Amino acid sequence: MPDWVEPVARYILEEGLPGTLRVSAFAVVGSALIGVVFGTLLTIRFLPLQAVIRLYIEVFRGLPILVTVFIAFFGLPSISQRLEFDALTAASIALVLWGSAQVAEATRGAVQSIPNEQHEASSALGFGWVGRHRFVILPQALRRLLPPFVSLLVNIIQNSTLAQVIGGLELLEAGKRQNERLAAFPPIGLGEIHAFEIFAGVAVLFFLISFPLTRLAAYLEKRLA
Amino acid sequence: MLLAYDLGAFISENRAELLDALLNTLKVSAFAIVGALVIGVVLGAARAHRIPVVSQLTAVYVEVIRNTPILVQIFMIFYGLPQLGITFDQFTVAWLSVMIWGGAFNSENFRAGFQAVAYRYREAGFALGFTPFSTFLNVTLPIGGRIALPSSINTYISVVKNTSLMYVIGYAELTTTSLNISNLTLETAEALTVLAVVYLALVWTLSASIRLLESRLALPEAR
Repeated sequence: MPDWVEPVARYILEEGLPGTLRVSAFAVVGSALIGVVFGTLLTIRFLPLQAVIRLYIEVFRGLPILVTVFIAFFGLPSISQRLEFDALTAASIALVLWGSAQVAEATRGAVQSIPNEQHEASSALGFGWVGRHRFVILPQALRRLLPPFVSLLVNIIQNSTLAQVIGGLELLEAGKRQNERLAAFPPIGLGEIHAFEIFAGVAVLFFLISFPLTRLAAYLEKRLA
Repeated sequence: MLLAYDLGAFISENRAELLDALLNTLKVSAFAIVGALVIGVVLGAARAHRIPVVSQLTAVYVEVIRNTPILVQIFMIFYGLPQLGITFDQFTVAWLSVMIWGGAFNSENFRAGFQAVAYRYREAGFALGFTPFSTFLNVTLPIGGRIALPSSINTYISVVKNTSLMYVIGYAELTTTSLNISNLTLETAEALTVLAVVYLALVWTLSASIRLLESRLALPEAR
């Protein structure tokens, strides 16, 4: 292997990978929590509430995620100084807005697919709305949500690269910085272009992370169907 | 905040530029959608009918595109390929990268659609003396194509949204243009409003068309 490979690979894995993982973890947890709550609330027949959640879902599913990233990074600070975030956090927030809209829509479907008898039986046992959903409905609905959750995880990991556009240090940005360093003239760089190898390497990394997960999603879908 | 929010002024002062940019977004989307449609039908048919070699290569193509971020694919085409002597202008990179991405998803849409066509329909075609190819054109394509239509429009919606990623190669579509203007004038909130409104209008129109087409093109037996 040529000499330039080792430091480049080390930088991408040590500096880039943690960024990707941080954004992905934050986005998945945030999307799941907010999405499940919004999706469950959407099944309540109270029009103003339904309208607000519906609008939230349609807006954040409809916007290109990059535009949501720009809104989180450039737009929020113009509302208030306290809403100024670093690139990775802003990207995470944007992915939560998008991901929770996806989860809310899926949760609504899963909750509504639970037969009405389950609601009646748990009401008869004295559960209120919260207890009924917390202990009876959601545990059943969440099982049906497992395959879409895994797909969401794959999508979030891939879309975490959008942090690169606003300068967040994740896998793709790490690759880009190394590409620029090697292209610079000596003594800073080598004056060599290795863009193809570097970005192909980044693509392979993403493939290695995503492929087992897409297989898992397909397997779960078949098993739980 | 440096300036008061004034959306009207932002639009009227930059009307020509923004219209050009919207046109570029639509042009890239149109090129990519037509390409993705052709790729989807051809490779989807190859997958559904298990045509040797083509079918396996399509499976690899689909898995590679689905399991790598589109932004990395754009970087490969824009920064990686020139190293091998393959150079495209920004417009070509723009439609080519979203077309390759959309084509992969679309070939899965059409594969599922063609596979949903019951074998007895094709059998009837063969019995009438159609060759396998004209059976595909006259039986499988019209029926399976309709089944695949809603999911393929969903892919086209994603194609339109993904044209915003051309910001990273500096192609003057809507996102690039609007943000470049705001970089000079500091009208960030106005630029983001324009982006949000235009993209939502495009996406919501397309998804409304799914519902419309679904009822109009539903198979007679499903009505």
